[in-house]
Amino acid sequence: MKFLILVLILMVFLFPAVAVSKDVCYDCHGIKGMKDYIDPALFEQSVHMSLACNKCHVDVTAIPHGKAAKVNCGICHFLGREGAPQEQASEYKLSVHGRATAAGNSAAPTCQTCHGSHYIFPSADARSVTNKRNIPLLCSHCHPQEFDVYKGSIHGTELLDNHNTAAPTCFDCHLEHMTPPTASNLWQLSLIKECGMCHSEEMKTYRETYHGKVTELGYTTVAKCSDCHGSHNIQRLDNPQSTLSPQNILSTCKKCHASASIGFTKYYAHPEISNKAKYPLLYYTYRFMTLLLIGVFAFFFTHTLLWAYRSMKERMQKKGDE
Amino acid sequence: MVLIKRFNAYHRVLHIAMAVSFIGLVATGMPLKYAGAPWATWLMKLLGGYSAAGLIHRICAVITFGYFATHISYVLYYIAIVRKFKFNILGPESMVPWIKDLKDIYGSFRWFLGLGPRPQFDEWTYWEKFDYWAVFWGVGMIGVSGLFLWFPEFFGQFFPGWAFNIATVIHSDEALLAAGFIFTIHFFNTHLRPEKFPMDPVIFTGTLSLQELQHERPLEYQRLAEARRIEQVITSPQAPWLTDIGIIFGFLLVLAGFLLLILIIMGQFIY
Repeated sequence: MKFLILVLILMVFLFPAVAVSKDVCYDCHGIKGMKDYIDPALFEQSVHMSLACNKCHVDVTAIPHGKAAKVNCGICHFLGREGAPQEQASEYKLSVHGRATAAGNSAAPTCQTCHGSHYIFPSADARSVTNKRNIPLLCSHCHPQEFDVYKGSIHGTELLDNHNTAAPTCFDCHLEHMTPPTASNLWQLSLIKECGMCHSEEMKTYRETYHGKVTELGYTTVAKCSDCHGSHNIQRLDNPQSTLSPQNILSTCKKCHASASIGFTKYYAHPEISNKAKYPLLYYTYRFMTLLLIGVFAFFFTHTLLWAYRSMKERMQKKGDE
Repeated sequence: MVLIKRFNAYHRVLHIAMAVSFIGLVATGMPLKYAGAPWATWLMKLLGGYSAAGLIHRICAVITFGYFATHISYVLYYIAIVRKFKFNILGPESMVPWIKDLKDIYGSFRWFLGLGPRPQFDEWTYWEKFDYWAVFWGVGMIGVSGLFLWFPEFFGQFFPGWAFNIATVIHSDEALLAAGFIFTIHFFNTHLRPEKFPMDPVIFTGTLSLQELQHERPLEYQRLAEARRIEQVITSPQAPWLTDIGIIFGFLLVLAGFLLLILIIMGQFIY
Protein backbone atom coordinates (compact mmCIF):
# COMPACT_ATOMS: atom_id res chain seq x y z
CA MET A 1 0.00 0.00 0.00
CA LYS A 2 2.72 2.43 1.08
CA PHE A 3 4.70 1.50 -1.99
CA LEU A 4 1.70 2.20 -4.20
CA ILE A 5 1.21 5.61 -2.65
CA LEU A 6 4.90 6.33 -3.19
CA VAL A 7 4.61 5.36 -6.86
CA LEU A 8 1.55 7.59 -7.24
CA ILE A 9 3.34 10.49 -5.61
CA LEU A 10 6.35 9.90 -7.86
CA MET A 11 4.10 9.94 -10.93
CA VAL A 12 2.64 13.27 -9.88
CA PHE A 13 6.19 14.49 -9.30
CA LEU A 14 7.12 13.55 -12.85
CA PHE A 15 4.17 15.46 -14.25
CA PRO A 16 5.95 18.36 -16.06
CA ALA A 17 3.59 21.26 -15.22
CA VAL A 18 4.26 20.94 -11.47
CA ALA A 19 7.99 20.54 -11.90
CA VAL A 20 8.23 23.50 -14.15
CA SER A 21 6.44 25.78 -11.77
CA LYS A 22 8.79 24.75 -8.96
CA ASP A 23 11.84 25.20 -11.17
CA VAL A 24 10.91 28.83 -11.55
CA CYS A 25 11.12 29.25 -7.78
CA TYR A 26 14.33 27.24 -7.57
CA ASP A 27 15.88 29.73 -9.98
CA CYS A 28 16.24 32.02 -6.98
CA HIS A 29 15.56 29.98 -3.82
CA GLY A 30 17.47 26.95 -5.06
CA ILE A 31 20.78 28.81 -5.10
CA LYS A 32 22.92 28.30 -2.01
CA GLY A 33 23.50 31.49 -0.09
CA MET A 34 20.32 33.00 -1.41
CA LYS A 35 17.79 34.41 1.08
CA ASP A 36 15.24 31.71 2.03
CA TYR A 37 17.37 29.02 0.42
CA ILE A 38 15.57 25.74 -0.21
CA ASP A 39 17.63 22.61 -0.88
CA PRO A 40 15.80 21.23 -3.95
CA ALA A 41 17.27 17.74 -3.49
CA LEU A 42 15.95 17.55 0.05
CA PHE A 43 12.59 19.12 -0.71
CA GLU A 44 12.04 16.64 -3.51
CA GLN A 45 12.15 13.87 -0.86
CA SER A 46 9.64 15.54 1.48
CA VAL A 47 5.98 14.58 1.79
CA HIS A 48 5.02 17.73 -0.12
CA MET A 49 7.36 17.13 -3.06
CA SER A 50 4.48 16.88 -5.53
CA LEU A 51 3.08 20.29 -4.60
CA ALA A 52 3.92 23.47 -6.42
CA CYS A 53 5.34 26.21 -4.17
CA ASN A 54 2.29 28.43 -4.55
CA LYS A 55 -0.03 25.66 -3.33
CA CYS A 56 1.19 26.72 0.12
CA HIS A 57 2.57 30.20 -0.58
CA VAL A 58 -0.77 31.30 -1.97
CA ASP A 59 0.08 34.97 -1.62
CA VAL A 60 2.91 34.63 -4.17
CA THR A 61 1.12 35.28 -7.44
CA ALA A 62 3.78 37.08 -9.49
CA ILE A 63 7.57 37.17 -9.70
CA PRO A 64 9.36 39.01 -8.30
CA HIS A 65 7.38 38.96 -5.06
CA GLY A 66 7.49 40.78 -1.76
CA LYS A 67 7.73 39.21 1.70
CA ALA A 68 5.64 36.03 1.71
CA ALA A 69 3.20 35.54 4.59
CA LYS A 70 3.44 32.60 6.99
CA VAL A 71 1.90 29.55 5.37
CA ASN A 72 -1.49 28.47 6.69
CA CYS A 73 -1.43 24.66 6.65
CA GLY A 74 -5.15 24.67 7.28
CA ILE A 75 -5.94 25.59 3.68
CA CYS A 76 -5.28 21.95 2.83
CA HIS A 77 -5.16 20.14 6.17
CA PHE A 78 -8.26 21.71 7.63
CA LEU A 79 -10.26 22.14 4.45
CA GLY A 80 -9.16 18.85 2.96
CA ARG A 81 -7.73 20.08 -0.35
CA GLU A 82 -5.14 18.14 -2.36
CA GLY A 83 -6.14 14.97 -0.53
CA ALA A 84 -4.44 16.20 2.63
CA PRO A 85 -5.20 14.32 5.87
CA GLN A 86 -7.58 16.50 7.88
CA GLU A 87 -8.23 15.04 11.31
CA GLN A 88 -4.90 16.20 12.76
CA ALA A 89 -5.72 19.85 12.10
CA SER A 90 -9.16 19.56 13.69
CA GLU A 91 -7.63 17.80 16.69
CA TYR A 92 -4.98 20.49 16.98
CA LYS A 93 -7.60 23.25 17.04
CA LEU A 94 -9.11 21.73 20.20
CA SER A 95 -5.76 20.97 21.87
CA VAL A 96 -4.08 23.08 24.54
CA HIS A 97 -1.59 24.16 21.87
CA GLY A 98 -4.27 25.09 19.34
CA ARG A 99 -6.37 26.94 21.89
CA ALA A 100 -3.35 28.88 23.11
CA THR A 101 -2.47 29.84 19.53
CA ALA A 102 -6.05 30.91 18.87
CA ALA A 103 -5.95 33.00 22.05
CA GLY A 104 -2.97 34.86 20.63
CA ASN A 105 -0.15 33.22 22.62
CA SER A 106 2.80 33.55 20.23
CA ALA A 107 4.88 31.08 22.26
CA ALA A 108 2.36 28.29 21.58
CA PRO A 109 3.38 25.84 18.88
CA THR A 110 1.76 25.94 15.44
CA CYS A 111 2.08 23.23 12.77
CA GLN A 112 5.48 24.47 11.64
CA THR A 113 6.90 24.56 15.17
CA CYS A 114 6.79 20.78 15.34
CA HIS A 115 6.79 19.70 11.69
CA GLY A 116 9.17 22.29 10.23
CA SER A 117 8.19 23.71 6.86
CA HIS A 118 9.96 22.52 3.73
CA TYR A 119 11.68 19.36 4.90
CA ILE A 120 8.73 17.41 6.21
CA PHE A 121 9.37 13.68 6.04
CA PRO A 122 7.08 10.79 6.93
CA SER A 123 7.43 10.12 10.64
CA ALA A 124 8.88 6.68 9.90
CA ASP A 125 11.88 8.46 8.27
CA ALA A 126 14.73 8.89 10.76
CA ARG A 127 15.24 12.46 9.44
CA SER A 128 11.72 13.46 10.46
CA VAL A 129 11.50 15.70 13.53
CA THR A 130 8.44 13.67 14.48
CA ASN A 131 10.25 10.34 14.12
CA LYS A 132 9.70 8.39 17.33
CA ARG A 133 13.31 8.77 18.45
CA ASN A 134 13.30 12.52 17.79
CA ILE A 135 10.04 13.31 19.55
CA PRO A 136 11.41 13.84 23.07
CA LEU A 137 13.97 16.30 21.74
CA LEU A 138 11.28 18.09 19.74
CA CYS A 139 9.09 18.63 22.81
CA SER A 140 12.12 19.56 24.93
CA HIS A 141 12.41 22.89 23.12
CA CYS A 142 9.42 24.14 25.11
CA HIS A 143 9.29 21.55 27.92
CA PRO A 144 12.96 21.15 28.99
CA GLN A 145 12.24 20.09 32.59
CA GLU A 146 9.88 17.32 31.52
CA PHE A 147 12.47 16.15 29.02
CA ASP A 148 15.22 16.04 31.63
CA VAL A 149 13.09 13.82 33.88
CA TYR A 150 11.86 11.65 31.00
CA LYS A 151 15.29 10.93 29.55
CA GLY A 152 16.36 9.34 32.87
CA SER A 153 13.20 7.23 33.16
CA ILE A 154 12.88 3.61 32.05
CA HIS A 155 10.85 4.69 29.03
CA GLY A 156 13.34 7.45 28.15
CA THR A 157 16.47 5.30 28.50
CA GLU A 158 14.85 2.47 26.55
CA LEU A 159 14.02 4.78 23.66
CA LEU A 160 16.96 7.16 23.62
CA ASP A 161 19.80 4.91 24.83
CA ASN A 162 18.66 1.42 23.84
CA HIS A 163 16.83 2.50 20.66
CA ASN A 164 13.81 0.48 21.74
CA THR A 165 11.04 2.09 19.70
CA ALA A 166 8.38 0.16 21.61
CA ALA A 167 9.00 2.52 24.53
CA PRO A 168 6.51 5.37 24.76
CA THR A 169 7.43 8.95 23.96
CA CYS A 170 5.66 12.21 24.76
CA PHE A 171 3.13 11.60 21.97
CA ASP A 172 1.94 8.20 23.23
CA CYS A 173 0.54 9.71 26.40
CA HIS A 174 -0.03 13.35 25.47
CA LEU A 175 -1.49 12.55 22.02
CA GLU A 176 0.46 14.67 19.53
CA HIS A 177 -2.32 16.68 17.92
CA MET A 178 -5.01 16.44 20.59
CA THR A 179 -2.77 17.35 23.56
CA PRO A 180 -5.70 17.65 25.97
CA PRO A 181 -5.28 19.62 29.21
CA THR A 182 -3.57 17.35 31.76
CA ALA A 183 -6.42 18.08 34.18
CA SER A 184 -8.91 16.51 31.74
CA ASN A 185 -10.72 13.55 33.29
CA LEU A 186 -11.28 11.93 29.93
CA TRP A 187 -7.57 12.10 29.12
CA GLN A 188 -6.51 10.78 32.52
CA LEU A 189 -8.85 7.82 32.14
CA SER A 190 -7.72 7.11 28.58
CA LEU A 191 -4.12 6.99 29.81
CA ILE A 192 -4.90 3.85 31.80
CA LYS A 193 -5.84 2.11 28.56
CA GLU A 194 -2.76 3.59 26.91
CA CYS A 195 -0.51 2.02 29.56
CA GLY A 196 -2.53 -1.18 29.15
CA MET A 197 -1.61 -1.36 25.46
CA CYS A 198 1.81 -2.65 26.51
CA HIS A 199 1.17 -3.61 30.15
CA SER A 200 -2.00 -5.61 29.50
CA GLU A 201 -1.68 -8.08 32.40
CA GLU A 202 -1.11 -5.22 34.81
CA MET A 203 -4.18 -3.43 33.54
CA LYS A 204 -6.29 -6.57 33.93
CA THR A 205 -5.22 -7.07 37.54
CA TYR A 206 -5.62 -3.33 38.25
CA ARG A 207 -9.25 -3.60 37.08
CA GLU A 208 -9.81 -6.19 39.83
CA THR A 209 -9.10 -3.60 42.50
CA TYR A 210 -11.13 -0.75 43.94
CA HIS A 211 -8.84 1.75 42.18
CA GLY A 212 -9.35 0.05 38.82
CA LYS A 213 -13.10 -0.24 39.19
CA VAL A 214 -13.70 3.37 40.21
CA THR A 215 -11.65 4.62 37.25
CA GLU A 216 -13.45 2.19 34.96
CA LEU A 217 -16.71 3.84 36.02
CA GLY A 218 -15.28 7.19 34.91
CA TYR A 219 -14.05 8.79 38.14
CA THR A 220 -10.47 9.98 38.55
CA THR A 221 -10.20 10.60 42.29
CA VAL A 222 -8.53 7.24 42.96
CA ALA A 223 -5.07 5.94 42.04
CA LYS A 224 -4.35 5.65 38.33
CA CYS A 225 -1.16 4.14 36.85
CA SER A 226 0.90 7.30 37.07
CA ASP A 227 -0.25 8.18 40.60
CA CYS A 228 1.74 5.21 41.89
CA HIS A 229 4.36 4.55 39.20
CA GLY A 230 5.09 8.17 38.34
CA SER A 231 4.81 9.59 34.85
CA HIS A 232 7.89 11.23 33.33
CA ASN A 233 10.02 9.76 36.10
CA ILE A 234 8.75 6.18 35.80
CA GLN A 235 11.31 3.49 36.73
CA ARG A 236 11.45 -0.27 37.11
CA LEU A 237 10.24 -1.46 40.53
CA ASP A 238 13.74 -2.72 41.43
CA ASN A 239 15.27 0.68 40.77
CA PRO A 240 15.74 2.58 44.06
CA GLN A 241 14.60 5.70 42.19
CA SER A 242 11.17 4.15 41.55
CA THR A 243 8.25 5.80 43.34
CA LEU A 244 7.40 2.27 44.49
CA SER A 245 10.86 1.23 45.76
CA PRO A 246 11.02 0.27 49.44
CA GLN A 247 12.47 3.71 50.19
CA ASN A 248 9.73 5.62 48.35
CA ILE A 249 6.57 3.52 48.48
CA LEU A 250 5.24 4.88 51.78
CA SER A 251 5.39 8.50 50.66
CA THR A 252 3.73 7.49 47.38
CA CYS A 253 0.80 5.83 49.21
CA LYS A 254 0.63 8.83 51.54
CA LYS A 255 -0.18 11.14 48.63
CA CYS A 256 -3.77 9.85 48.97
CA HIS A 257 -3.73 7.83 52.22
CA ALA A 258 -2.26 10.45 54.53
CA SER A 259 -1.88 8.20 57.56
CA ALA A 260 -0.69 5.10 55.73
CA SER A 261 1.80 2.86 57.52
CA ILE A 262 4.48 0.47 56.22
CA GLY A 263 2.04 -2.41 56.70
CA PHE A 264 -0.48 -0.60 54.54
CA THR A 265 1.98 -0.55 51.63
CA LYS A 266 1.89 -4.35 51.45
CA TYR A 267 -1.40 -4.05 49.54
CA TYR A 268 -1.42 -5.87 46.20
CA ALA A 269 -2.35 -3.16 43.71
CA HIS A 270 -2.24 -5.84 40.98
CA PRO A 271 -3.60 -9.01 42.61
CA GLU A 272 -3.53 -12.23 40.62
CA ILE A 273 -6.37 -14.01 42.30
CA SER A 274 -5.70 -17.40 40.71
CA ASN A 275 -1.93 -17.39 41.20
CA LYS A 276 -1.60 -19.97 43.97
CA ALA A 277 2.19 -19.82 44.24
CA LYS A 278 2.39 -16.04 44.51
CA TYR A 279 -0.73 -15.22 46.55
CA PRO A 280 -1.69 -18.41 48.44
CA LEU A 281 -3.98 -16.81 51.03
CA LEU A 282 -5.81 -14.75 48.45
CA TYR A 283 -6.12 -17.80 46.21
CA TYR A 284 -7.58 -20.01 48.96
CA THR A 285 -9.97 -17.26 50.10
CA TYR A 286 -11.22 -16.97 46.56
CA ARG A 287 -11.52 -20.76 46.22
CA PHE A 288 -13.39 -21.01 49.51
CA MET A 289 -15.83 -18.25 48.55
CA THR A 290 -16.45 -19.79 45.14
CA LEU A 291 -17.20 -23.19 46.66
CA LEU A 292 -19.44 -21.61 49.29
CA LEU A 293 -21.46 -19.81 46.62
CA ILE A 294 -21.73 -22.85 44.39
CA GLY A 295 -22.69 -25.04 47.36
CA VAL A 296 -25.39 -22.75 48.76
CA PHE A 297 -26.91 -21.96 45.37
CA ALA A 298 -26.81 -25.58 44.19
CA PHE A 299 -28.60 -26.80 47.32
CA PHE A 300 -31.25 -24.10 47.45
CA PHE A 301 -31.94 -23.90 43.73
CA THR A 302 -32.58 -27.66 43.73
CA HIS A 303 -34.74 -27.23 46.82
CA THR A 304 -36.67 -24.34 45.22
CA LEU A 305 -37.22 -26.03 41.86
CA LEU A 306 -38.45 -29.27 43.42
CA TRP A 307 -40.69 -27.30 45.77
CA ALA A 308 -42.15 -25.30 42.90
CA TYR A 309 -42.83 -28.53 41.01
CA ARG A 310 -44.58 -30.16 43.99
CA SER A 311 -46.65 -27.07 44.83
CA MET A 312 -47.84 -26.68 41.25
CA LYS A 313 -48.75 -30.34 41.08
CA GLU A 314 -50.74 -30.17 44.33
CA ARG A 315 -52.55 -27.06 43.16
CA MET A 316 -53.54 -28.72 39.91
CA GLN A 317 -54.76 -31.79 41.76
CA LYS A 318 -56.84 -29.62 44.08
CA LYS A 319 -58.39 -27.86 41.11
CA GLY A 320 -59.08 -31.22 39.51
CA ASP A 321 -60.80 -32.45 42.68
CA GLU A 322 -63.05 -29.37 42.76
CA MET B 1 -61.49 -13.82 59.59
CA VAL B 2 -59.61 -14.55 62.81
CA LEU B 3 -56.16 -12.98 62.79
CA ILE B 4 -53.16 -14.30 64.65
CA LYS B 5 -50.24 -12.12 65.67
CA ARG B 6 -46.91 -13.40 64.33
CA PHE B 7 -44.65 -10.32 64.21
CA ASN B 8 -44.78 -7.35 66.56
CA ALA B 9 -43.92 -3.74 65.65
CA TYR B 10 -40.27 -4.28 66.56
CA HIS B 11 -39.93 -7.27 64.21
CA ARG B 12 -41.55 -5.40 61.34
CA VAL B 13 -39.60 -2.19 61.77
CA LEU B 14 -36.36 -4.18 61.97
CA HIS B 15 -37.22 -6.12 58.82
CA ILE B 16 -37.94 -2.90 56.95
CA ALA B 17 -34.68 -1.35 58.15
CA MET B 18 -32.91 -4.48 56.98
CA ALA B 19 -34.66 -4.65 53.61
CA VAL B 20 -34.23 -0.96 52.77
CA SER B 21 -30.57 -0.82 53.83
CA PHE B 22 -29.91 -4.08 51.97
CA ILE B 23 -31.39 -2.73 48.73
CA GLY B 24 -29.34 0.43 49.26
CA LEU B 25 -26.15 -1.55 49.77
CA VAL B 26 -26.71 -3.76 46.74
CA ALA B 27 -27.68 -0.85 44.47
CA THR B 28 -24.59 1.16 45.41
CA GLY B 29 -22.16 -1.77 45.63
CA MET B 30 -22.96 -3.76 42.51
CA PRO B 31 -21.99 -1.02 40.01
CA LEU B 32 -18.53 -1.15 41.56
CA LYS B 33 -18.37 -4.96 41.48
CA TYR B 34 -19.47 -5.01 37.85
CA ALA B 35 -17.75 -1.76 36.83
CA GLY B 36 -17.15 -3.16 33.35
CA ALA B 37 -20.86 -3.59 32.59
CA PRO B 38 -22.52 -0.76 30.65
CA TRP B 39 -25.36 -0.51 33.18
CA ALA B 40 -22.85 0.15 35.98
CA THR B 41 -21.93 3.56 34.57
CA TRP B 42 -25.50 4.80 34.30
CA LEU B 43 -26.58 3.35 37.64
CA MET B 44 -23.62 5.12 39.26
CA LYS B 45 -24.67 8.38 37.57
CA LEU B 46 -28.28 7.82 38.64
CA LEU B 47 -27.12 7.44 42.24
CA GLY B 48 -25.35 10.80 42.03
CA GLY B 49 -21.84 9.65 41.18
CA TYR B 50 -19.31 7.48 42.89
CA SER B 51 -18.88 9.66 46.00
CA ALA B 52 -22.63 9.94 46.58
CA ALA B 53 -23.02 6.18 46.07
CA GLY B 54 -20.17 5.62 48.53
CA LEU B 55 -21.93 7.80 51.09
CA ILE B 56 -25.26 5.95 50.62
CA HIS B 57 -23.38 2.64 50.94
CA ARG B 58 -21.82 3.74 54.23
CA ILE B 59 -25.13 5.11 55.62
CA CYS B 60 -26.78 1.77 54.82
CA ALA B 61 -23.84 -0.01 56.46
CA VAL B 62 -24.40 2.00 59.64
CA ILE B 63 -28.11 1.06 59.54
CA THR B 64 -27.04 -2.58 59.14
CA PHE B 65 -24.73 -2.46 62.15
CA GLY B 66 -27.56 -0.65 63.98
CA TYR B 67 -30.25 -3.27 63.37
CA PHE B 68 -27.76 -6.04 64.06
CA ALA B 69 -26.90 -4.57 67.48
CA THR B 70 -30.58 -3.82 68.15
CA HIS B 71 -31.48 -7.41 67.44
CA ILE B 72 -28.75 -8.84 69.70
CA SER B 73 -29.96 -6.54 72.49
CA TYR B 74 -33.57 -7.55 71.84
CA VAL B 75 -32.79 -11.26 72.03
CA LEU B 76 -30.93 -10.78 75.33
CA TYR B 77 -33.76 -8.57 76.68
CA TYR B 78 -36.40 -11.09 75.56
CA ILE B 79 -34.71 -14.12 77.12
CA ALA B 80 -33.60 -12.40 80.32
CA ILE B 81 -36.43 -9.99 81.12
CA VAL B 82 -39.54 -11.07 79.20
CA ARG B 83 -38.99 -14.82 79.68
CA LYS B 84 -36.93 -14.56 82.87
CA PHE B 85 -34.48 -17.12 81.47
CA LYS B 86 -37.32 -19.68 81.08
CA PHE B 87 -36.67 -20.13 77.39
CA ASN B 88 -35.79 -23.44 75.79
CA ILE B 89 -33.03 -22.58 73.34
CA LEU B 90 -33.55 -25.88 71.52
CA GLY B 91 -37.35 -25.73 71.71
CA PRO B 92 -39.92 -24.91 69.05
CA GLU B 93 -39.94 -21.18 69.82
CA SER B 94 -36.21 -20.87 69.29
CA MET B 95 -34.45 -20.01 66.03
CA VAL B 96 -31.65 -22.44 66.86
CA PRO B 97 -31.66 -25.30 64.36
CA TRP B 98 -32.02 -28.71 65.92
CA ILE B 99 -32.72 -32.36 65.03
CA LYS B 100 -36.31 -31.70 63.92
CA ASP B 101 -35.01 -29.32 61.27
CA LEU B 102 -32.79 -32.01 59.76
CA LYS B 103 -35.76 -34.38 59.76
CA ASP B 104 -37.89 -31.67 58.11
CA ILE B 105 -35.32 -31.12 55.35
CA TYR B 106 -35.31 -34.86 54.67
CA GLY B 107 -39.11 -34.95 54.86
CA SER B 108 -39.45 -31.98 52.51
CA PHE B 109 -37.32 -33.57 49.84
CA ARG B 110 -39.41 -36.76 50.18
CA TRP B 111 -42.54 -34.64 49.77
CA PHE B 112 -41.08 -32.79 46.76
CA LEU B 113 -40.43 -36.14 45.10
CA GLY B 114 -43.85 -37.52 45.99
CA LEU B 115 -42.46 -40.06 48.46
CA GLY B 116 -44.22 -38.85 51.57
CA PRO B 117 -46.50 -36.28 53.19
CA ARG B 118 -45.48 -32.69 53.73
CA PRO B 119 -43.61 -32.33 57.07
CA GLN B 120 -45.52 -30.67 59.89
CA PHE B 121 -43.90 -27.38 60.80
CA ASP B 122 -43.85 -25.49 64.06
CA GLU B 123 -43.35 -21.77 64.60
CA TRP B 124 -40.13 -21.59 62.55
CA THR B 125 -39.36 -23.73 59.51
CA TYR B 126 -35.83 -24.78 58.60
CA TRP B 127 -35.66 -22.35 55.66
CA GLU B 128 -36.70 -19.49 57.91
CA LYS B 129 -33.99 -20.46 60.36
CA PHE B 130 -31.50 -20.57 57.49
CA ASP B 131 -32.53 -17.03 56.42
CA TYR B 132 -32.15 -15.88 60.01
CA TRP B 133 -28.67 -17.29 60.57
CA ALA B 134 -27.52 -16.32 57.09
CA VAL B 135 -27.88 -12.70 58.22
CA PHE B 136 -25.47 -13.35 61.09
CA TRP B 137 -22.95 -14.94 58.74
CA GLY B 138 -23.49 -12.28 56.08
CA VAL B 139 -23.35 -9.26 58.35
CA GLY B 140 -20.29 -10.77 60.04
CA MET B 141 -18.36 -11.47 56.85
CA ILE B 142 -19.47 -8.43 54.83
CA GLY B 143 -19.47 -6.16 57.88
CA VAL B 144 -15.94 -6.94 59.04
CA SER B 145 -14.45 -6.93 55.53
CA GLY B 146 -16.41 -3.73 54.82
CA LEU B 147 -14.90 -2.02 57.88
CA PHE B 148 -11.42 -2.99 56.62
CA LEU B 149 -12.18 -1.38 53.27
CA TRP B 150 -13.81 1.65 54.89
CA PHE B 151 -10.86 2.37 57.24
CA PRO B 152 -7.82 0.92 55.46
CA GLU B 153 -5.34 3.30 57.05
CA PHE B 154 -6.52 2.33 60.55
CA PHE B 155 -6.45 -1.42 59.91
CA GLY B 156 -3.16 -1.05 58.01
CA GLN B 157 -1.49 -0.39 61.36
CA PHE B 158 -2.30 -3.90 62.55
CA PHE B 159 -2.65 -5.92 59.34
CA PRO B 160 -0.53 -6.21 56.20
CA GLY B 161 -1.94 -4.39 53.19
CA TRP B 162 -2.91 -7.60 51.42
CA ALA B 163 -5.59 -8.06 54.07
CA PHE B 164 -7.52 -5.51 51.96
CA ASN B 165 -7.21 -7.76 48.93
CA ILE B 166 -8.69 -10.61 50.96
CA ALA B 167 -11.36 -8.29 52.35
CA THR B 168 -12.25 -7.26 48.80
CA VAL B 169 -12.74 -10.87 47.70
CA ILE B 170 -14.83 -11.71 50.77
CA HIS B 171 -16.90 -8.52 50.59
CA SER B 172 -17.61 -8.89 46.89
CA ASP B 173 -18.37 -12.63 46.77
CA GLU B 174 -20.34 -12.63 50.00
CA ALA B 175 -22.41 -9.73 48.64
CA LEU B 176 -23.13 -11.75 45.52
CA LEU B 177 -24.16 -14.68 47.71
CA ALA B 178 -26.44 -12.52 49.86
CA ALA B 179 -28.07 -10.65 46.99
CA GLY B 180 -28.39 -13.76 44.86
CA PHE B 181 -29.94 -15.65 47.77
CA ILE B 182 -32.38 -12.97 48.93
CA PHE B 183 -33.57 -12.02 45.43
CA THR B 184 -34.23 -15.61 44.36
CA ILE B 185 -34.51 -18.12 47.18
CA HIS B 186 -35.86 -15.90 49.94
CA PHE B 187 -38.30 -14.28 47.52
CA PHE B 188 -39.53 -17.67 46.32
CA ASN B 189 -39.72 -19.32 49.75
CA THR B 190 -41.67 -16.49 51.32
CA HIS B 191 -43.55 -14.78 48.50
CA LEU B 192 -43.54 -16.41 45.10
CA ARG B 193 -44.24 -20.07 45.75
CA PRO B 194 -47.70 -21.00 44.53
CA GLU B 195 -49.16 -21.14 48.07
CA LYS B 196 -48.21 -17.50 48.72
CA PHE B 197 -48.04 -15.93 45.26
CA PRO B 198 -47.63 -13.05 44.64
CA MET B 199 -46.67 -12.09 48.16
CA ASP B 200 -46.93 -13.13 51.80
CA PRO B 201 -47.54 -9.82 53.58
CA VAL B 202 -47.13 -11.24 57.10
CA ILE B 203 -43.81 -9.45 57.76
CA PHE B 204 -45.41 -6.14 56.73
CA THR B 205 -48.80 -6.57 58.44
CA GLY B 206 -47.65 -8.69 61.38
CA THR B 207 -50.67 -10.99 61.17
CA LEU B 208 -51.76 -14.19 59.49
CA SER B 209 -55.16 -15.89 59.47
CA LEU B 210 -56.02 -18.72 61.85
CA GLN B 211 -56.54 -21.05 58.85
CA GLU B 212 -53.06 -20.26 57.59
CA LEU B 213 -51.62 -21.04 61.01
CA GLN B 214 -53.48 -24.35 61.15
CA HIS B 215 -52.45 -25.29 57.64
CA GLU B 216 -48.87 -23.99 57.48
CA ARG B 217 -47.74 -24.44 61.05
CA PRO B 218 -49.94 -27.20 62.54
CA LEU B 219 -47.53 -28.00 65.36
CA GLU B 220 -47.53 -24.39 66.55
CA TYR B 221 -51.31 -24.31 66.42
CA GLN B 222 -51.50 -27.55 68.40
CA ARG B 223 -48.99 -26.25 70.95
CA LEU B 224 -50.96 -23.04 71.43
CA ALA B 225 -54.26 -24.89 71.62
CA GLU B 226 -52.99 -27.33 74.23
CA ALA B 227 -51.63 -24.47 76.35
CA ARG B 228 -54.98 -22.65 75.82
CA ARG B 229 -53.05 -19.65 74.48
CA ILE B 230 -54.89 -19.18 71.17
CA GLU B 231 -56.92 -16.31 72.65
CA GLN B 232 -53.72 -14.57 73.68
CA VAL B 233 -52.37 -14.45 70.12
CA ILE B 234 -55.62 -13.50 68.42
CA THR B 235 -55.43 -9.88 67.41
CA SER B 236 -57.68 -7.31 65.80
CA PRO B 237 -56.70 -6.19 62.28
CA GLN B 238 -54.61 -3.06 62.15
CA ALA B 239 -55.77 0.09 60.33
CA PRO B 240 -56.39 -0.76 56.65
CA TRP B 241 -54.15 2.07 55.44
CA LEU B 242 -51.26 0.64 57.45
CA THR B 243 -51.82 -2.74 55.83
CA ASP B 244 -51.98 -1.13 52.39
CA ILE B 245 -48.73 0.74 52.98
CA GLY B 246 -47.11 -2.46 54.16
CA ILE B 247 -48.18 -4.36 51.05
CA ILE B 248 -47.18 -1.59 48.63
CA PHE B 249 -43.86 -1.33 50.40
CA GLY B 250 -43.34 -5.06 50.16
CA PHE B 251 -44.08 -5.02 46.44
CA LEU B 252 -41.63 -2.19 45.84
CA LEU B 253 -38.92 -4.06 47.70
CA VAL B 254 -39.51 -7.24 45.71
CA LEU B 255 -39.54 -5.23 42.48
CA ALA B 256 -36.28 -3.43 43.38
CA GLY B 257 -34.75 -6.78 44.23
CA PHE B 258 -35.74 -8.26 40.87
CA LEU B 259 -34.34 -5.31 38.94
CA LEU B 260 -31.05 -5.60 40.79
CA LEU B 261 -31.06 -9.35 40.22
CA ILE B 262 -31.30 -8.81 36.46
CA LEU B 263 -28.35 -6.40 36.57
CA ILE B 264 -26.32 -8.82 38.67
CA ILE B 265 -26.99 -11.68 36.27
CA MET B 266 -25.98 -9.47 33.33
CA GLY B 267 -22.83 -8.38 35.18
CA GLN B 268 -21.90 -11.90 36.19
CA PHE B 269 -22.53 -13.74 32.95
CA ILE B 270 -22.45 -11.26 30.05
CA TYR B 271 -19.68 -8.75 30.71
